[in-house]
Amino acid sequence: MESNTLQNYKDCTPAKPVSKSTLAKMIWRSTMLQASFNYERMQAAGWLWSMLPGLEEIHKDKDDLAKSMTHNLDFLNTHPFAVTFVMGIVLSMEQLKADIQSIRSVRISVAAPLGGIGDALFWYTLVPITAGLCANLAIGGSVLGPILYFLILFGCEMALRYGLMYFSYNLGMKAVSVMTEYAQEFTHAASILGVFVVGALIANYGGGTALGMVIQNGENPIVIQSYLNMILPCLLPLLITLLMFFLIRKKGWTPVKCIGLILVIGIVGAMFGIWKGSYTPLFSVPWTVG
Amino acid sequence: MNILEIVLLAVVTFVFAIDQFSLTEIAYRPIIACPIIGLILGDVRTGLVIGGTYELMMIGNMPVGGAQPPNAVLGSIIAMIFAVKAGMDMNAALGACMIFATFGQYIVTLTFTIMSGLMAKADEAAANADPAGITRVNLISCCILGSLFALMSMLAYVGGVAMSGALQSLADHASWLMGGLSAAGGMMRFVGFAVLLKIMIANDMWGILLAGFVCALVIGNIASLSSACLLLVAFLGVAIAVHDFRVSGIKKKAEEGGFSDGI
Repeated sequence: MESNTLQNYKDCTPAKPVSKSTLAKMIWRSTMLQASFNYERMQAAGWLWSMLPGLEEIHKDKDDLAKSMTHNLDFLNTHPFAVTFVMGIVLSMEQLKADIQSIRSVRISVAAPLGGIGDALFWYTLVPITAGLCANLAIGGSVLGPILYFLILFGCEMALRYGLMYFSYNLGMKAVSVMTEYAQEFTHAASILGVFVVGALIANYGGGTALGMVIQNGENPIVIQSYLNMILPCLLPLLITLLMFFLIRKKGWTPVKCIGLILVIGIVGAMFGIWKGSYTPLFSVPWTVG
Repeated sequence: MNILEIVLLAVVTFVFAIDQFSLTEIAYRPIIACPIIGLILGDVRTGLVIGGTYELMMIGNMPVGGAQPPNAVLGSIIAMIFAVKAGMDMNAALGACMIFATFGQYIVTLTFTIMSGLMAKADEAAANADPAGITRVNLISCCILGSLFALMSMLAYVGGVAMSGALQSLADHASWLMGGLSAAGGMMRFVGFAVLLKIMIANDMWGILLAGFVCALVIGNIASLSSACLLLVAFLGVAIAVHDFRVSGIKKKAEEGGFSDGI
């Protein structure tokens, strides 16, 4: 391991279970998960803010708290209503002072697939049904429409947040204590899962990054991106991720510097109509943007 | 024109702007937001009708998976302003509000870009074990988003339908900038992935990374599976990880066994 001080907490004795009132506080804070949603790390800062009551109770040592806060600012994207499930598991790992590498891997691996389940359950099922029911009440002029709509959805949301938090916190404490005997092996296995999921995220979240150049050619316009797809679909997302990895790991770039570079690439590219999207390039170019 | 109305309008727009991503994530929906705006502007009835109609329009146009459709919060609020204040009929109001909805999307793009930069502040607070610093970052983000949305609603109230034309010409001239920002926005997540990889990846795992990439490509391209893509990929990942854990666990046991034999 390159640096053990970064991989483990100083104080490795498991902390006492987090109190009920702290758990409740975390559940309510989790409503602000997306407070500072951003393109780089998505829900990271909101996640950390939701976790803080628990983390502060667990990590009495200031250096440990700093370490924990730092790795809890990793990229994260999950369903905002199901996030407490991830919180409970991560909290149990923090409490049992699992090694940091495992916590990171487990967090992203649990969070990413939950996003899809949550969307399917909530936005594609519960919301359309409730909307269909209540919208007609509202159009008919009844105040009951919006009130019912809010009560049903907010009720389900909070019940989900509460239930998942307690369920996963208890589950995590049982599961993690079994793992401690094989901590190093567990870390390796968890990292494999984490890396596998990140590989999937590159393809799953990367589709928006594509070339938009279309050369008009009578009946058969030439779409540049489709040629790239013949080499490898999602080639650009993969290459950009690897480039960023190279700049951060080998060149010591900070994330902010990387973001600055991407901002320039994005805007200059759009001036010439290189990127996919619905906009008009600043300069006139011999292709159209699609 | 009524100062009290403007102030109340700005305040609720501020709250709804935050609510679309945080808080309840439900109160911002047109079916609830429009009647509340209606209450402020003195016409709850119109609010219910527009809210219900807009809500039905929105089914199947959900803000999921990082996609940003024209912003419903600004769209529905401004449709209300036009309907009640400019006396437009409902369909005309819903049409005229769309350019504001597009600007709402621009504001969201802009805020998400700015906040990517501000993550450095959060990192700093974390390194100093300073919880208040994290709170500050979140507050700044909420304030940027809320204030810009509130500003747009006030523009619509004061400038009326005339604002639509002005915004439209602005949108036509600056579309390359917004196109560039959203292209960049789509790429910034790769920085987040790279940071994750920097910590997690060991030299023997590059194949695993590519395997995950391939699985998501394949499953994501099968229409009937694509919505469950990440879950299915995670199942595969768990199988590989459990296998790895078993193999290395057996190896460790064998090594320990070897030692005890020696004693």
